[in-house]
Amino acid sequence: MLWKRQIPILIATVVGLLTLFGWFIDNPGIESFVNDDATQWFDILASFAIFLGALNLMKLQGRKVLKQHSGWQYSLFAIGGFIFAIVAGFIYKGNDAVAWGVHVTSKGTLFKWMFDFIFTPLSATMFALLAFFVASASYRAFRVRNLEATLLLVSGMIIMVGRVPLGSSISSWFIMYLLVLVGSVAANIKFQDKIITFGVLLGGVVIVTIWGSLAGWPVDQPSIFYLPMLQDWIYNNPNVAGARAIMIGIGLGIFATSIRYILGVEKSYIGE
Amino acid sequence: MVAGGLALAFIVFWLAGHPGFREERIVMFLAITIMASTLIYFIRLANRGEKFHLRSIPGLKAVEEAVGRSTEMGKPVLYVPGIMDMDQVETVAGVIILGHVAKMTARYETSLNVPVSRSIVMKAGREIARESYTMEGRPDLFQDDMVHYLTDDQFAYAAGVNGIMVREKPAACLYMGKFYAESLILAETGNSIGAIQIAGTASQAQIPFFVTACDYTLIGEEFFAASAYLSQKPELLGGLKGQDMLKAFVTAAILLSLFLRVFSDLGWIGWNVIDFLTVQ
Repeated sequence: MLWKRQIPILIATVVGLLTLFGWFIDNPGIESFVNDDATQWFDILASFAIFLGALNLMKLQGRKVLKQHSGWQYSLFAIGGFIFAIVAGFIYKGNDAVAWGVHVTSKGTLFKWMFDFIFTPLSATMFALLAFFVASASYRAFRVRNLEATLLLVSGMIIMVGRVPLGSSISSWFIMYLLVLVGSVAANIKFQDKIITFGVLLGGVVIVTIWGSLAGWPVDQPSIFYLPMLQDWIYNNPNVAGARAIMIGIGLGIFATSIRYILGVEKSYIGE
Repeated sequence: MVAGGLALAFIVFWLAGHPGFREERIVMFLAITIMASTLIYFIRLANRGEKFHLRSIPGLKAVEEAVGRSTEMGKPVLYVPGIMDMDQVETVAGVIILGHVAKMTARYETSLNVPVSRSIVMKAGREIARESYTMEGRPDLFQDDMVHYLTDDQFAYAAGVNGIMVREKPAACLYMGKFYAESLILAETGNSIGAIQIAGTASQAQIPFFVTACDYTLIGEEFFAASAYLSQKPELLGGLKGQDMLKAFVTAAILLSLFLRVFSDLGWIGWNVIDFLTVQ
């Protein structure tokens, strides 16, 4: 019980307090421990622990092949890939002119070939899938279901169009005409009256046209309706405000959780 | 009394010239001390039996519902504790929530599949899941291979988890931990197989992806509150109340700083609050 409960809590408390308050103490030893030694200890531990993971992976995949579970053929690729990487990393360099160690990054070696022509394209393929998933996720998120979804759609459209070269070619007066059109549609939904709808539309068009004529139709004026400026404002104001609110919550959450670990209040991590 | 003693000791230390203390970090030190004291105060209140009201968090309520759904459908629960190691507080939080989920799967006799991307997370996850199954009186249902290692690489891990999803078609997918670009790949695949999905992360850039693709998302602090909420332990609930108080305190500090900054810009006061608050 002592080894599985009290000792781990004691280690977490001591190292946690040292890391937290070490930042305020002007002592090179503590500073070096917090910034370098502690993280290096973790890296060393993690490096040894990789054997556990690799053995577990091989055990599961091997069992799948031996018992011919569904999809066992894929496990052959996993086992084959693992053995191939071990051979290329530790047994066969493929180029005797290169020393062991640097062979993982030197051209002409088996490991580098594996990295460049198998690993990198496969990773890039998975990453490229993201583009399609973003499209499908955006399709669902941008459907006009309620006010919030509509706001998301409108701001998303403004950001997307405002950030591409086409966006800077769209005159703010065109956006104003669009807004007049949207306003008249809203008036029609609200009042269900053709005369009011026509009045809003005509009044809006006349006002925008007179205003534009007097101003000389500058593309980027009034700037509030110019898409690059508008997207910039949305990105730097409402977006940042929301993001900072979330950040403050996350920061407090991390702080409170860390304090709970340091004080030994939260003991779930040792299974209690 | 302990707090008073410590405060007095620090004042004496400060007046004695505070050797070895980084003076320029005093504001941060005081902030941390006040915040930690607030948390400890509410934890002690909770230990004394004080009852706190907790706002309902739909995502956490849905965890049990998701496990129940998996039981009804006879399909496994897939739990992904992020792609980072145990040196990240989000991973630790994710592994702790795994303990609560494992209790539920033990209770409902539902199979649990936890693919991980770090060996240390695998060991920690196994220990916590084993403990949960034992606590629920079902150690016979626990197998070491419930929590299994896939790979350390981000996209290889995503490919592996996607393969598990497509082959096993779990009824519930839970993503709790630190995520990067693979978040949407995982969540969209989970969506495509019709699984009920609950995500929790403090990775700010991934929150919109999870909100879009998952049924419930624990955003930031909600994720860290999950352990307390699911366990209902008084000392943890006290910590949550303390966290809410800190939020009120930070909000007040932001408003006060805003006014002080405005007064400084107008020249009404000759002191800039930003210089005072900036971490040295």
